[in-house]
Amino acid sequence: MNLTYFLFFVCIIVCTLIITYWAARRSNTTNRFYIASGSLTGFQNGMAIAGDFISAASFLGIVGMIAISGYDGFLYSIGFLVSYIVVLFLVAEPVHRLGKYSLGDVICSRFPSGQMRMIMAIGAFMISILYMIPQLVASGFLLRLLLNIDYSISVLVIGGLMTIYVVFGGMVATSWVQIVKTVVLMSGTFLLALIVFSNMNWNLPYLLEKVKTGSPLGESFFLPGHQFGNPLEFLSLQLALVLGTAGLPHILIRLFTVRNTFEVRRSLISSTWIIGTFYIMTLVLGLGTVALLGFDKLIAIDPTGNLAAPLLAKEVGGDFLLAFVSAIAFTTIVAVVAGLVISATTAFSHDIFHHIFKKGKSTELEQLKAARWTALGIGFISTMFALQLEAINVTFLVSMTFIVAASSNFPVLILTIYWKRFTQVGAIIGMVSGLLASLVLVLLGPHIMNSDGGWIARDAVISLYNPGIISIPIGFLGAYLGTICSSKQAQTEAEFRRFYIRSQTGITSRSENS
Amino acid sequence: MEERVLALIRERKKMLIPTLMLVFLFYFMLPLSLTLLPDLMNRTSFIPGLTWAWVYAFMQIPMTWLVGWGYHVNAKKLEEKINGIKREELK
Repeated sequence: MNLTYFLFFVCIIVCTLIITYWAARRSNTTNRFYIASGSLTGFQNGMAIAGDFISAASFLGIVGMIAISGYDGFLYSIGFLVSYIVVLFLVAEPVHRLGKYSLGDVICSRFPSGQMRMIMAIGAFMISILYMIPQLVASGFLLRLLLNIDYSISVLVIGGLMTIYVVFGGMVATSWVQIVKTVVLMSGTFLLALIVFSNMNWNLPYLLEKVKTGSPLGESFFLPGHQFGNPLEFLSLQLALVLGTAGLPHILIRLFTVRNTFEVRRSLISSTWIIGTFYIMTLVLGLGTVALLGFDKLIAIDPTGNLAAPLLAKEVGGDFLLAFVSAIAFTTIVAVVAGLVISATTAFSHDIFHHIFKKGKSTELEQLKAARWTALGIGFISTMFALQLEAINVTFLVSMTFIVAASSNFPVLILTIYWKRFTQVGAIIGMVSGLLASLVLVLLGPHIMNSDGGWIARDAVISLYNPGIISIPIGFLGAYLGTICSSKQAQTEAEFRRFYIRSQTGITSRSENS
Repeated sequence: MEERVLALIRERKKMLIPTLMLVFLFYFMLPLSLTLLPDLMNRTSFIPGLTWAWVYAFMQIPMTWLVGWGYHVNAKKLEEKINGIKREELK
């Protein structure tokens, strides 16, 4: 590793550790540890949400996909962005009003029971871990490719950092690491986009012409159809992307970190501006890669295209810019995995330890201790998993996370908030059927069953790589059938009305206040 | 009070559901039109050098921003009305 790279990495690590040290002194209550006491402003939280959401797959993967597949690569970004409308319209404010620290709190505000909380905690825990492992594995490969550091050391460094942030700094440190990441990522991407344009003499038609000559697709680079040949697959992916965010626990728990629904909306609106602007810039970087570096050179170094942004940086700015972009990629990964650790920690220590094991009677100190130990355990276990999975392709887990979230958490959240007849049995069956359907369909799909190098070397039973179009309706159907086949909830009409008014307006009755 | 609040929620729903349906329609029409109307989508649009497929994909970004902003404005008005009801109730 040369000195420039080393200095950039040390700078990032020192800055984030200073944030953690500062945050550690402010994380001495459960309220501060889990939700930063709701002290963030809407704009700060919007930056943190963007930092939590834009993973390495977005930064590196989408630039690479655009460089390789042209138009189709850009379509991923659209699904990710529009999903925030679903969050804003349907779940954001009710989640903020009904929950305290976790999604379990939200659902249990209508169906208070240990069973319900346990199933929600398992769902949140699974989604967070499923998403964290590919991020850690990708970080190992990325740092090895960029900096020539051993895979195990890379994973240990990132795993260790994310654990330190959460164990000592809780949500305060996680939020500020994510905010810093967003600032660094946006400014770095903007800088790189400007350099691309300056290399093209600020002439967009010239850039587009160069892209056509730089890609083997030629004129057809700008036409759709180079990645999504199967229309059903394409529609299924778009469905999972647009509904998935509204079921992602690590994004939804960020809605507790602001003080009211005005700030919740501001958070989401700010994040859509940041994420939308970011995706426009990734398009410029994707086009710039083809125009300045050329398709053949990119594919010769990395056939997946994931190194498109760093290679572009090296082409236009030499080692210094490459070091800067690598540091951005590193910050991107640690910020996302820290968000996932705190989400899994909340599910385990708040829902399972405090509410189920201790029946809600553990002291503040016990809860805090449990949360820190849980974060340590989760950090350790997921790092160990990532170390063992070096030789196995786990990238499909990223899209699977969206499918699981859209098929389990999303239906249950929506129906709990809006359907009067919904019952606890329906919620449990909806969660279980959505979770199982997504897992089974992915297991039977070409990610796992593939005669060409799959885990199971035979033809897939389901031809879809993204089975959301089947699993999401199964999640809803499970919830519906569970409800109509179970006896009516003991909750009276008046009780539901009070719950509904609370979820929509925040008005609580006197009995709820007392 | 409860009835007045419920009436406000119903009023909001009347705006919210059609808007969300339009957002879904606009969003899913992109993959559907790329599949069903490839010739039309690959034709050059009113912007020289850009096909309708690109214009449609780009339009999803300002659509998200505009719809989000519209929702925020609407939700603010609703919150003011609800706070008014709360104040009246406390008198």
